[in-house]
Amino acid sequence: MNEKADVKEQRPTAAMVSSGNAGALSTPWYRGGGLPQGRRAWLDVLFRLQSFVGLLVVFVAAIAFSPRRNGVVLFLDPNNIANVVRAVSVIGIIAIGMTFVILIGGIDLSVGAVMGLAATGSAALLINSDYGIFATVGVILAIGLVFGAVQGWISTSLGIQAFIVTLAGLQIARGLARMWSGGQGIPIAYGDGKNLAPEGFALLNSRVINGLVPVPALIFIAVAAIGIFVLHKTKFARHVYAIGGNERAARLSGVPVARVKVAVYAIAGLLSALAGIVFAGQLNQGSPNAGIGYELNAIAAVVIGGTSLMGGSGTVVGTIAGALLLGILNNVLALNNIDANIQLLTTGIVIILAVALQSIRRRV
Amino acid sequence: MVTRSGKFALGLGLGGITLAASACGAESGTGSAVNGGCTGPDGEYLIGMSQANVAEPYREVMDSDIEKAAAEVPQFEVVFADAAQDNAKQVSDVENFLTQQIDLLIISPNEAAPLTDVVSRAYNEGVPVIVLDRKVEGNDYTSFIGGDNFEIGKAAGEYVANDLLPDGGNVAELQGLPGSTPAQERADGFREGIAGNDGIEIIAEGVGNWLREEGQSQFDAILQANEDIDVVYAHNDPMAEGAYLAAESAARADDLEFIGIDALPVPSGGIKAVMDGRLSATFVYPTGGQEAIDTAADILVDCKTNVPKEQILETQLITEENAAEVYKKKTG
Repeated sequence: MNEKADVKEQRPTAAMVSSGNAGALSTPWYRGGGLPQGRRAWLDVLFRLQSFVGLLVVFVAAIAFSPRRNGVVLFLDPNNIANVVRAVSVIGIIAIGMTFVILIGGIDLSVGAVMGLAATGSAALLINSDYGIFATVGVILAIGLVFGAVQGWISTSLGIQAFIVTLAGLQIARGLARMWSGGQGIPIAYGDGKNLAPEGFALLNSRVINGLVPVPALIFIAVAAIGIFVLHKTKFARHVYAIGGNERAARLSGVPVARVKVAVYAIAGLLSALAGIVFAGQLNQGSPNAGIGYELNAIAAVVIGGTSLMGGSGTVVGTIAGALLLGILNNVLALNNIDANIQLLTTGIVIILAVALQSIRRRV
Repeated sequence: MVTRSGKFALGLGLGGITLAASACGAESGTGSAVNGGCTGPDGEYLIGMSQANVAEPYREVMDSDIEKAAAEVPQFEVVFADAAQDNAKQVSDVENFLTQQIDLLIISPNEAAPLTDVVSRAYNEGVPVIVLDRKVEGNDYTSFIGGDNFEIGKAAGEYVANDLLPDGGNVAELQGLPGSTPAQERADGFREGIAGNDGIEIIAEGVGNWLREEGQSQFDAILQANEDIDVVYAHNDPMAEGAYLAAESAARADDLEFIGIDALPVPSGGIKAVMDGRLSATFVYPTGGQEAIDTAADILVDCKTNVPKEQILETQLITEENAAEVYKKKTG
């Protein structure tokens, strides 16, 4: 009995040391003991930029190994670059929300299912219920926000691990999506009149600026910009890093831990819902099976981007780099007609490399 | 410290390069100049085949049919992509094909609505498009090739009415996923097929969702509730096999006839099951792979401009008489 109690007492202290250290590398806020000097500092920079080094390497390799037609590098074709960014937009938007969750040391397994629920709901409201665009978007975003917030609230108020709560959330969101649509995908057709979606919603599958820039990519960029701003400039972000670094210390120093946690899960739900709206618009369909497994792709992007699963350390910029890295990798493999199974394999290897780098970073 | 970490940084770099290097093994293109244009028998043509989900045996067979047929046309090189049942992935697959400047697109869409836009983009860029098995919306494709589930269901019904139960009898039906078009059409067609024989009655309907295990558990229950079943009609072979397993464990397999649909020429498929005596009959649901390559050759090599917009393929009845022969022919 005594020993057990001792262990419990010890744990936070150990966590304080290790994650406090990790936090110091990426956030300037509560870092103790000043800037690392010389060699260390150089290494820190390298590690902080690991996702960019990786992105750069993959980008250069993509150019090198891209098939060519009449001397033109197919990978660099503006349409191809636009395709890559569009293809990562949905995962990217989800992954930005996931970054906040993982920064507090949490996890959200429900994001793919919430995305599916939002995609289904968007189509159902536009087509079956004849809501306008603004009402649809408003209702769906609210559903995502509330769904996330409720998960965060259950997790914090009942002290249940986020892993379990969001695993349950995944099932519930999928079930709701299937109920909403009767298990079927709802095709979105455009026009004026009953059971048709307003033409404006088709903007999501169009390309602007000489027909080159996909609208989902613009939404991704906008969300990314807001995410970067929030994580660099706000008190909320400092609270997020503090909780991830050491929850107990954060609580003792007056951080409203429960409120911040609920807010973080609400953000993840909100962004998943936004991704679902984009997904529905871009594919002209809301399907309850949309987004199966996307939570894992989002986590992969976050981890490759250098965010620690232990919390307290990481950036939105890294996550964006991670998502783009995966997108470019898949694109150049596909352009070379590499088997889809090998694409899975390479994604796995890249994740291992990224996490290996993190582990080294903690030890130096 | 520096050397160790330096090594790891290098490791990341090399890792990335190795990954990309593994990508460069493939042929990068055929160098034909005109997109989708016919340059006759002297040209070389790159064909992109976008598959919805190779994990389904039927689609795996479709891909290998295309591969086999294309091997007979020296001007063709076919590259394959698998969307793993993800509409978004399939859109990207087609976009990547367009980036590679394919001369012709073959696509078996995962679902119609999400793939319609990208297919019509390809078509409007001048790439001929052959759509297999499942349709897209609208008219922006060159040719659709597929089976007719209603006709197949009808053929199954007629086989039961004329050959298995000419004097009438009781049928149990195992249906595919409710709401899916093939399940609906295979059910409706069957009813039309047996309509000519008043003695035949469908006394039990179960939903097996296309799956062997659900076919088994559904038929377990049907056997419990019904003493006098003569024929089991399953909407696909795996469910028929599941029903056979259920009947076998109830020691009633010998009293029943089992028929299925699909007749895939693979070891776990329906033709083998007929050869082994578990199923009495199965009906071929054609993949259209051979016909797709034939059509592609019409368009690209023979410069035909009048390929039919819709090619509906006939089914074939497989019984113990022709099963071994068909299996051998299809597997080469």
